[in-house]
Amino acid sequence: MIELHNVHKQFDQRTVLHGVTLELQPHEVVCLLGTSGSGKSTLLRCINLLDRIDQGDIIFQGQSLLDDRIDVDLVRRHIGIVFQAFNLFPHLNVLDNITLGPQRALGRPKHEVESEARELLGRIGLGTRSGDYPDQLSGGQQQRVAIARALAMQPDVLLLDEVTSALDPTLVGEVLDLLSDLALQGTTMLIATHEMQFARDVAHRVALLDAGRLVEVAPAQQFFDSPSQPETVDFLSRVPKTQ
Amino acid sequence: MAPGGRAVREFFLSPTHAWRAFIGDPSEGLSAIWEGFLTNIWMFIVCEVLVLIFGLAIAVVRMSSSPILTPLRFLSTVYTDFFRGIPVILVLFAVGYGVPGMDLGWISQQSPTVYACISLTITYSAYVAEVYRAGINSVATNQLVAARAIGLRQGATMRYVVLPQAVRNVIPPLLNDFISLQKDTALVSTLGIVDATQAAHIYGSLNFNFAGYTVASLLFLLLTIPMTRLTDRLINRDRVKRLAFIS
Amino acid sequence: MRALRLALAGALSATALTAATLASTAGATTTLKGCDSATYKTSGKLTVGTDNPVWEPWFSNNKPSNGAGYESAFTYALARKMGFSKANVKWVTVPFDASYAPGAKSFDFDINEISYTPQRARTVEFSKSYYNVQQSVVVLKTSKYANVTTLAGLKGAKFGDQVGTTGMTYITKYIKPDAKPRAYNTLDLAVAALQSKQIDAIVVDTPTGNYMVNVQITTKSGKALAKQIGQFKSVGEHFGVTFQKNSKLVACVNSAIAALKADGTLKRLSNQYLSDYTAVPLLK
Ligand SMILES: Nc1ncnc2c1ncn2[C@@H]1O[C@H](COP(=O)(O)OP(=O)(O)OP(=O)(O)O)[C@@H](O)[C@H]1O
Ligand SMILES: [Mg+2]
Repeated sequence: MIELHNVHKQFDQRTVLHGVTLELQPHEVVCLLGTSGSGKSTLLRCINLLDRIDQGDIIFQGQSLLDDRIDVDLVRRHIGIVFQAFNLFPHLNVLDNITLGPQRALGRPKHEVESEARELLGRIGLGTRSGDYPDQLSGGQQQRVAIARALAMQPDVLLLDEVTSALDPTLVGEVLDLLSDLALQGTTMLIATHEMQFARDVAHRVALLDAGRLVEVAPAQQFFDSPSQPETVDFLSRVPKTQ
Repeated sequence: MAPGGRAVREFFLSPTHAWRAFIGDPSEGLSAIWEGFLTNIWMFIVCEVLVLIFGLAIAVVRMSSSPILTPLRFLSTVYTDFFRGIPVILVLFAVGYGVPGMDLGWISQQSPTVYACISLTITYSAYVAEVYRAGINSVATNQLVAARAIGLRQGATMRYVVLPQAVRNVIPPLLNDFISLQKDTALVSTLGIVDATQAAHIYGSLNFNFAGYTVASLLFLLLTIPMTRLTDRLINRDRVKRLAFIS
Repeated sequence: MRALRLALAGALSATALTAATLASTAGATTTLKGCDSATYKTSGKLTVGTDNPVWEPWFSNNKPSNGAGYESAFTYALARKMGFSKANVKWVTVPFDASYAPGAKSFDFDINEISYTPQRARTVEFSKSYYNVQQSVVVLKTSKYANVTTLAGLKGAKFGDQVGTTGMTYITKYIKPDAKPRAYNTLDLAVAALQSKQIDAIVVDTPTGNYMVNVQITTKSGKALAKQIGQFKSVGEHFGVTFQKNSKLVACVNSAIAALKADGTLKRLSNQYLSDYTAVPLLK
């Protein structure tokens, strides 16, 4: 579905991504691990074309995203992204946050997107909060709305960037549960995260980004139980075990 | 009380003079201040609406990144720099006496009230465009990113995400500009329009008494005080909200 | 120096010359009624206020101290009667609004084509008349009102005047125009509005109106573009000099004015500076 070929990205003179190659299959869930500053967010933003890569290629559904004829806005409608900081629209209520994209980017009729949005809200357990504004919700609730907002676009792939990092530990669970549900339903996802247990339970494959290099990509169990690279061993030894 | 205090009180505060100035007296050549004040009010309302529209248009053009709009963007920058720098009264003179003098057909045949409205709108649109611009800048970039991430195009992002938040952020400074606009409607007297202050001026010089100015001041306060209170309330509400967000 | 001064005074008249010669020997010596108890801002000097700018035909070249123009010449004649030499007349600039504001005044009297009204007289002291004034209507020659001879014929015209002049009273009292009259902060602005056809007519005192038509609103070669179509009938409006309320100088100035009237000086000055203006027809 998405293929990254030798992706390089630099900010000013500093190279942040050193030739990342990775392929994401339909219905696959890949978790992206890595220490802070290793380039996880940058990689996701590059896939979504929020940042331009400097070298390499990104193929989406058989087409290069670097092609000048590509309509960037159109691509983004197929590749959803959810941020660490939610970034909900504070002036819109929950329902309107979710329907804005389908209505104004896809031009779909209001009644149709609204009923879909309500259904989505039901699925994320916020069926009764459609009229509330973001600042009336808890962090976990806001992040679930942000995920629903991305899902409402019916993207082919969902990119999630540390969606639980800004949350109070007691609220992390509800968001991870939602992601597990999505995984079970076959949503294609690339998830940058620090949640080891979650990665182990939900991901088909796990990848480790170390200083802009993808040092190991392996099926989840193999990644955690018998890592092949010294960087992985080192990384796993430094994070607290989450059982 | 200072010596001459009584004379001063009579000069500014005499109730008889104040009332006569308020209601006017055509047989004495006196325009009613209340009637002049209606002119201030409707001018203010018309100009305010126009200023909101033009100011926004200028700000959006100025902040657009589209290459087709480059000449317009340049013009709008020059425009705001120019008209923020010129005293309103000079604009009033230039438009109110210059345009009619140029013999441009119907353009030169409008009433002074039209030229006054144009002048106020020209000047205040420049101020308000800058207020809007600050508002647009105040919208966090992550909001732009979020909008682009769901595939909204630039126009839609501006319209549905940026502007609603920008406008909300700038309501207090906008109201501040409108309070000065309300007061600056008094400057239209330079075009011969008998507004409240000019009616007071006429009363003052035909009766050698300034109570009419006091009346006009009170009327302006009646108009601006609710506005200033509202502004304060909004600023306060905003602050409380932000504090709540931080804690 | 003195010779020069006398020569200037001589330009006015032989009567004035005599008065000047008599008075110039000593400051403020006179036998006029009411002048013995007079007090002055600066003793030995007569301090006279007027606005800046000042206009023809009341003053000349915006210089009140040159003795030319009706009000300037009148002031010097008055001063002479009161016993002041020309050198002892001191002019101070007093904006019109400041001339009647409460508080101590910077002048002994103010002269600025100020019409007497009973309302005004409640705040300041007025002298007796030094000029009986009528108001006239000025329009552009190309205006559709250029040949109107009646008040009723002007009802549809857009009027303007200088704010605070009595012209406004004539407009709203005698013409009652359909459109609200406009009030300009200066006469210049009213003239500008007339020339750009923002208004159809200006109401202004007849001498000033005459100056406007003959000098102000003309082509470069001096051809008149405006016309005084007529004046309102006299309603007893007159100009007086104004004093601080309860001024001790009023009686003295009034005696001097009476003397200038009696010896023909006022008539002569008005013939010299304002004579053209009697020819303007009355509006019926
Ligand atoms: N816009 C930018 N300009 C310059 N440098 C940037 C920019 N964005 C990111 N970087 C740098 O790129 C590197 C990778 O940043 P990135 O945000 O991708 O890391 P991350 O793996 O997501 O870290 P974290 O776990 O803390 O979110 C960092 O050193 C960061 O300082
Ligand atoms: Mg990150």
